[in-house]
Amino acid sequence: MNPFFFGDSASPLYGVYHPPTATQKQTEAILLCAPFGQEYMRSHRAFRQLAMLLNKKGYAVLRFDYKGTGDAFGEPEDSTIQDWVANIGTAIEELKHSAQVDTVSLVGLRLGGLIAARYCSEHASGVNKLVLWDTIVSGDRYIEELNTYIEKTPNSKSKYFDEQGSLHFNGFALTKAQLNELKNIDLGRLELSIKNVSQICSSENGNQSYLKESWSAHQGYHYQHTAAPGDWNFVDDFGGILLPQQVIQSVVSSIVAERR
Amino acid sequence: MKEIALKIGKPTPLTGIVAAPDKIDPEKPAVLILNSGVMHHVGACRLSVKIARKLAESGILSIRFDLSGIGDSAPRTGSSSFHETAIAEITEVMDYLEQKRGIKKFIAYGLCSGADASYDIALADERIVGIAQIDPYCYRTWSWYIRHYGPKLFSLAQWIHSIKIRLFPQTSEKRFSETTDSEDLEMPSYIREFPPQADIAKGLQKLIERNVRIYSVFTGGQSELLNHASQFKQSMPSVDFGTQLKVEYFPDMDHIITAPDLQRVVRDNIAKWVDMQR
Repeated sequence: MNPFFFGDSASPLYGVYHPPTATQKQTEAILLCAPFGQEYMRSHRAFRQLAMLLNKKGYAVLRFDYKGTGDAFGEPEDSTIQDWVANIGTAIEELKHSAQVDTVSLVGLRLGGLIAARYCSEHASGVNKLVLWDTIVSGDRYIEELNTYIEKTPNSKSKYFDEQGSLHFNGFALTKAQLNELKNIDLGRLELSIKNVSQICSSENGNQSYLKESWSAHQGYHYQHTAAPGDWNFVDDFGGILLPQQVIQSVVSSIVAERR
Repeated sequence: MKEIALKIGKPTPLTGIVAAPDKIDPEKPAVLILNSGVMHHVGACRLSVKIARKLAESGILSIRFDLSGIGDSAPRTGSSSFHETAIAEITEVMDYLEQKRGIKKFIAYGLCSGADASYDIALADERIVGIAQIDPYCYRTWSWYIRHYGPKLFSLAQWIHSIKIRLFPQTSEKRFSETTDSEDLEMPSYIREFPPQADIAKGLQKLIERNVRIYSVFTGGQSELLNHASQFKQSMPSVDFGTQLKVEYFPDMDHIITAPDLQRVVRDNIAKWVDMQR
């Protein structure tokens, strides 16, 4: 594990590079695209474990924090969703350089899936495979999901919309501008520009079905349901984390299967 | 301000991030920002990052790092307890900063298990001149019971609620089980156990005699144990804190401080308190 800052020196991103540990190194590397907010905190361990499992299969892996999140510089409210999409591009270049490879695949969890897919729609080449793990399927549906919690807990000090229209949720906030940007992203309507796409979900709900139906005709699309308990947005008093081993294994299998 | 990612120690290093101000005030101690439970060094709701950057604005260097097996630090082999490992690893980080940057005085900050570790390291290492803790060890007193049960004795709603529970006990149990987390969680390997009150009192007395300053913030998330600021001192009657202890209680604050306005209050108050220490 090599922690480092990279990218624009005025506003560097934080990343952890995991070099491959297998003797036979793969010719592609894997970029892990994190979720947002409490889901990011909750998935950190799962991402580390996923990275190490992929290392054992010979893949170099980079996990990183978007601008204004985690250890990256800046504040989340000063960032745009498009910044985070662009951060994926910066991280890809960094990973290619560190791993000395020309090909990269992306794994995106929750909001990281939405952002990674958006990146892929804007960049036709450079990404071999996109693995979407419990992905947010559209900005509208994500906001609706969060809003449902807000409506259930009126007068909450940690789940509410403020006067400026920012959505506060479990200690993190999305600004009105970010919410508006998100509303314009709908994976079901996104033009898929890469060949290999895997959708892996731990719970078969309406959102995941929507994406499955939208993309099922796409050649190279693969859907997998690996049942696992867990709510990424749950928050408890002690900062408990989610480590769905079965799903992590499915993500690894999805990456490995592609090279056969 | 500049942040540098570091790997400290061999063969299994600890990962940390030094937040170094442009101009460091050599009189001010550096701050060790400790893990809370299994949360990585970013801290609950990114609070550790926010505190580190606020401290840097005041010329104070800090390091936020992961103990082995947590966050970005790989596990180390060995059979030591969490307490022993934490003390050894925090000492290692202080040794590193002393060797590389000549820092000789430190303040340890932590929330929950991080608060416990800050107490442990302060007892173990005289380079610690202050501890800033969120929800540290605390113990009920008679005043806790009065504040907790007093209003209920005179509340009609509470009496009705109490009668309902007695008449329909199954309903009450069911409600409890529905709110119990049944997720595939990895629990912290550290199970928080409060040492006997007398032991903590002795330890605090030792720290006070060594002129260690203590800032204790209590949240409403721990109100089952503490429900007003003066309770902490009351629970340690044998300790002569003098002016070395500052206690604050925020009843509306939850344990991981999810409310944004309260996050700012805690960040600013901790930075201000640290800034006053020499």
